[in-house]
This record gives sequence, C-alpha cells and structure tokens, in this order.
Amino acid sequence: MSQDKAQAQQQTTGHVWDDDLQEFNNPLPTWWLWTFYLSIIFAVVYWFFYPSWPVGKGFLTGTGTITYKNDKGVEKTTHWSTRALLMKDLQDARESQKKYLDKVAALPFDQLKTDPEAFGFVASAGGVLFKDNCAPCHQSGGAGKMAFAPNLTDDDWIYGGTYEKIQETITNGRHGIMPPKGGADLNDGEIDSLANYVLSLSGEPSDAAKAKAGDELFHGKGVCFSCHGPDAKGNKDIGSANLTDKIWLWANVPAAGTAEKKVEAVKAVITSGLNKGVMPSMKERLSAQQIKLLTSYVHDTLGGGSK
Amino acid sequence: MASVGVASAGQYNYDVVRKFTILALIWGAVGMLVGVIIASELAWPVINMDLPWITFGRLRPVHTGAVIFGFGGCALFATSYYVVQRTCGVRLLSDGMASFTFWGYQLCIVLAALGDVLGFSQGREYAEMEWPTDLLIAVVWVTYAIVFIGTVFKRKQPHIYVANWFYMAFILAVALLHIFNNLAVPVSLTKSYPVFSGAQDAMVQWWYGHNAVGFFLTAAFLGMMYYFVPKQAGRPIYSYRLSIVHFWALIFMYMWAGPHHLHWTALPDWVSTMGATFSIMLLMPSWGGMINGIMTMSGAWDKLRTDPILRFLIVSLSFYGMSTFEGPMMSLKDVNALSHYTDWTVGHVHSGALGFVAMLTFGSLYHLVPKLWDTGKMYSTKLITVHFWLATIGTLLYITAMWISGIMQGLMWRAYDDFGNLQYSFAETVAAMHPYFAMRALGGVFFLTGMVLMVYNVFMTIGQAKSAPASGNLAANAA
Repeated sequence: MSQDKAQAQQQTTGHVWDDDLQEFNNPLPTWWLWTFYLSIIFAVVYWFFYPSWPVGKGFLTGTGTITYKNDKGVEKTTHWSTRALLMKDLQDARESQKKYLDKVAALPFDQLKTDPEAFGFVASAGGVLFKDNCAPCHQSGGAGKMAFAPNLTDDDWIYGGTYEKIQETITNGRHGIMPPKGGADLNDGEIDSLANYVLSLSGEPSDAAKAKAGDELFHGKGVCFSCHGPDAKGNKDIGSANLTDKIWLWANVPAAGTAEKKVEAVKAVITSGLNKGVMPSMKERLSAQQIKLLTSYVHDTLGGGSK
Repeated sequence: MASVGVASAGQYNYDVVRKFTILALIWGAVGMLVGVIIASELAWPVINMDLPWITFGRLRPVHTGAVIFGFGGCALFATSYYVVQRTCGVRLLSDGMASFTFWGYQLCIVLAALGDVLGFSQGREYAEMEWPTDLLIAVVWVTYAIVFIGTVFKRKQPHIYVANWFYMAFILAVALLHIFNNLAVPVSLTKSYPVFSGAQDAMVQWWYGHNAVGFFLTAAFLGMMYYFVPKQAGRPIYSYRLSIVHFWALIFMYMWAGPHHLHWTALPDWVSTMGATFSIMLLMPSWGGMINGIMTMSGAWDKLRTDPILRFLIVSLSFYGMSTFEGPMMSLKDVNALSHYTDWTVGHVHSGALGFVAMLTFGSLYHLVPKLWDTGKMYSTKLITVHFWLATIGTLLYITAMWISGIMQGLMWRAYDDFGNLQYSFAETVAAMHPYFAMRALGGVFFLTGMVLMVYNVFMTIGQAKSAPASGNLAANAA
C-alpha cells in the first residue's frame, strides 16, 4: 500500500514514553468509521421493530406484532415478544399434529397398525418417547442389556406381549422377585443339581445324573414349579421366566465359555435370588395418550406378540 | 533492544512483577492441565473415577478460575505494574501494598480452587467463590486500584500512555462488577444468598459475566497489547486518534451487552434487544484495537519472519478480530436461538481465550522475562517458535471441533420430522458430539504442551540470570 509509506513519513504526536514508545496520529480508517455508523443505524432500525428502550413504567414495544391462539382458543395479537412467539409455535405444533393425535385416540391398536398415516405417526412420536424414556435401560434399539433390562425386540415376554399387557407394564411398572434359593432350604449340591436341570431344559450341556436329581428337586423339595410351572415354561401373570427357551436375562449363560461357567452362572442366580428387576411406573411421567403411542410402538415396531 | 534502561532496575519495583510473572506461568500450566482433564472427562466420562472432587462440575470452575484469574490475572498484574512504572517513569506507589496484592491475590485463587473442589459454590459462573473469599478479593482489588492509580498520579510524564487508560478502566470496572455481583447475605462461613432474585439475579450475574470478558479479558489485554506490540515491533502506535475513539466506544458499549447471554429466557424482551444491539455496535470499537495493533506493524512486517514473539502478538490480534466479529453475530436473537447452550459458545470463548488472551500473554511475557531478569533474550528462541506452532494448532483444533460440534448440536436439537416430532433424542446428540469432544481434548493437549515448553524456557532463562549477576554485571550486558 502506497498509503503506508505516506504514513511512515508522518509526524507522531510528539509524546515519548519509556524511551521509544510513540504514537502516529493517523485519521480513523474510513471503512472503520462508516461500518461503525452502519452498526449504529442497524441498532436504531432494530429498536424500531422490536421492544427496546424503557419509557416510564413500560417500554417502546416496537412495530412488530404476533397473533396467536392461547391454550383456551382465544385469539390474541400482541407486540413482538418471545413468550407470544412460543405460544404461536406451540399452537402451530398442536394444529399440525391434531389430525394424527385424533386418529391415535380414535383407533384401536390393531387398526392403528394398518393405517399408514397413523402408523407413521406412531413410529415417529413413539420413537421419540422410547428414546427419551425407555432407551436408558432397554437401549436405543430396544435390544435390552444382559442382567439388566429385557430385550424388547424378540417374541419372549415375561409379563405378556399383547397390547394390553404392554400397556399395563408401561403404566404401572413391574417388579419381579425370586427369593434366594427359591425360598427353600437347599444345600450347594442341590443347587448344583438344579442348575444342571435348568440348563438341560434349554439344551445346554449338562450332567445327566445331576439334571435328573435337579428334576426331582424342581418338582419337589425346591418348589420351583410353584412359580415356574410344572413344565418350567413360566407364568406371565407373575412374571416368572420360561426356563425352557434359549433366552437368558439374569444368568449370562450365552457368554459363559465352558459348561462349568454356565452352571456357575445359573447357580449364582438360584443362590442369591432376584430383586433387581424393577421397571418403573410411567403413569406419573407420561400421559395416557403417550403411553398408548409407546405401547403401539413397542408392540408393532419392536417385537410384541400374542403370547 | 538497547533501549531497556539498565539503571532503571533499581528505580522500578521489578520484584513484584517477577513474582506475578512466575505465578502466571504456574497457574497457566495448572489451569490448562485441568482444562485437558475436563475435556477428556467429557469425551471419556470414566476418567472421573466416580470421585465427586474431580467430576466435571467441580473441576470446570477450577479450570476457568485458574486460567482466567490465575494465569490471565497474574499476567495482568505483572504487565500492568511493569507498564505503569515504565510509562510513568516512577516506581510503584507502595512496595508494601504491591506485595500485599501479590500474596492476597494468590490466596484468593487457592481459596477459590479449594472451594470449587470441595463443593462450596455460589453457582455464579466465574464468581463461584463464597463470601469470605469475595471479601478478600475486594480488599486486594481496591489495594491494586490504589497502587496503580496512585502510580499514575505521581507520574513524571505529562501524558498518560494509552495502555494505562485500558488498565485503569479494567481495574475500576472489575471492582464495580465484583462488588455488585457478589452482594449476598451470608448464612454461614460457606453459604450465602444473593440479594437479587429471579430474572434480576440472572441479569446481574450476566452483567458481571459479560463484562468480566469485556474488561478483564478484553480491555486489560488491549492495555497489554498497546505496550508490548509497539515495543516488540519497534514502531509507533498507528493512530492516537483511533485509540481514543475506540477506547471510549468500547468502554461505553460493553457495559450494555450482558443481556445477550439471556436471550429467549424470562428476561424482558426489551432488555434482550438492548443486549443484542449494543453487541452489534460493539463490533467496530473492538476492531479498533485490532487495527491499531496490526497497523502498528506497517513498515516492519518483515520482522514477523524472524521474530516468533511478534508472531504471537500479531496472530493474537487476528484471533481477537475473529472472535469479536463472531460475538456480535451470536448476540443476534435468531443466531443465538441456534448457538445458545451449544458447544459453539464454548468454541467462541476459546477462540478469544486461547487465540487472543493466551497468545498475547505468551508474546508479552516472552518480551518481558529477559527484561525482568536482565538476560537480554530468552534461553531458546527455537522453543518459542515451537510453542507458537503448538499454540496455533491447538487453538485451531479446539475451535474447529467446537464449531462443528456446536452447530451440529444446535441443528440436531431443532430437527423435526414430517410428523412434527423431534428427530433426535438428547442422547443421540451427545453421541454425535463424541468425536469432536476427543478432537477438542487433543487441541488442549497441543496447547498445554506449548505452555509447558514456555515454563521450561522461562525457568532456564531465569537460571542463566542467576549464574550471571553474581559476578554482577548488569552494566556490562547493556552495551
């Protein structure tokens, strides 16, 4: 810049500090000054449209207005305000979702599933509800977590997988309890036998002699059958597990590498019992409408069934 | 460089300047280390080991306290005491009072950090300290004001150098901000309640919070800039006129800008508008300092090639210009609706804090240390160059990560699907930010490494001074 050379020749203010500190006295850069003026003009224009300076007990309201319906349906027009803007956004949202929500309220579950528009809404709104409320335990895809929260994507339902049962589970919550050693007086050898029997039911490797002894304990002294049923298929009314399938929630049999470790995993559950399977009630937290959406979402996008 | 008056070593109180300089470096290293730790905790929460004392919530104010008040504050004390003596041509008003500000201020920083770690907090950002520490800070600060302004009053120079206007504005404003923001009714030694409540309390806090940025981290550092840039460049300041206009405009505008921290809240809309518009009008006054600093280089640009200290100073002004452009944009209500509560804000703060404040401090202290210990130059110029690149890369990694993370976060929060439902859950936005959290922590590691190199370089320089002056001779070096 040729200007620079001119400036370099320029005189300083004549003051000198600390041996060599001096100041030129260049004029304010034109672009700087005009941009500054422009920013002031911008501010003044802004004050014209939006609420700005305080005057007396009020303030300049600005020329901008917002028209909205409040939650009682009364239409109101006010000066621009963040609160009115929020009311308007909420009103717009309510109006745009009304037709879907009306359908969700009107249709029974099996028809919700077959109505493409309503079901699209279920998948969307139910997904949001699921991710915010259920995913922390059941994981974002609903696959659950071993020894923590059941898998919701399979067809195995501890308390039943019908719409009604799922709705009941979400609304009231669940708390599954198994007393230590099933409440019976069992020694370590007997627990070992029972574990082998339970494993044999699912086709896992087991000691045949011990499994046979376990069979007798299961249906006799151990009184396991009273909850899990004589066929060991569980009872959905009380949430006792089906022991004959290959689905495990509390004893991590699939991850146990050897037959001994599988026995140990089952023995640990029998010995200490269970008191940690708590599903919280959602009725204080979610509306009936939200629970209906969630029920439909869990049943029809994850893995509900008639069982 | 021959201009440094050797004879002046006895004329001026360098002792307190040296102490503050060393503590600035120590607090800088500590504060940045804590910064790297909490950045890593955000990326990998397991690092906090479930110990309450080192969770993010408690260490975060330790980090901000140590870097802003420890590192930045001590650097401001050091440079302001140095600059005011040299540009007024007189010794500090009182050595005893200056020494009191040193020990008192260090005690405040230690008490503040202890309070944070043990969980005693007012819950006010950048003002977490409970009332006993606040009282001590007030006493120290008023003493500082007396020492500084008293020194200006007894100056031998007819005119007050521009750097001193900025330092004085900073000292007066911080006293005002600190006292009003901390007006509280104590109920025990470790607990008090503010006299303000609700939206008023929030407004007072952000009047303080924003002006802590405006006066502590901007005006004061511009004071530092106005001394060390022309000194290091060996050139006169570009424009006296510009310095006057942008000084008064900056001081006037900044005080109004606080409400932009509270857009879209219970704060009355008219207050919010004031915050936004005064932030926009603040843009050019802020840039005045950048222009005056950078244009001072006219005719000396070639020095950037060989002088890493000057490079620190000039790059710091570039980051200053960038973040003072970004700030007013973010203060507009509609931009703020996207940026507020996201990492974008964190990135914005750090482009100013790392890019401007810290880099300017590094440059200034590299200039200052050889003067204070009379070694002529730093132990290693090469290490300064390495530090410069580490700091620059670290800053860029940090702010780029936070821009991406913050804007993505803001967009994900407001994304709706065709049915008018939110597209992402909060947990999904957090998961999406993870790579940028890791990138930010890496940027912090770069920046911290540079800081550690500086500490080494300074201590080696001081070591050289110790071995030389025994035989004595300051005068011999002066030639």
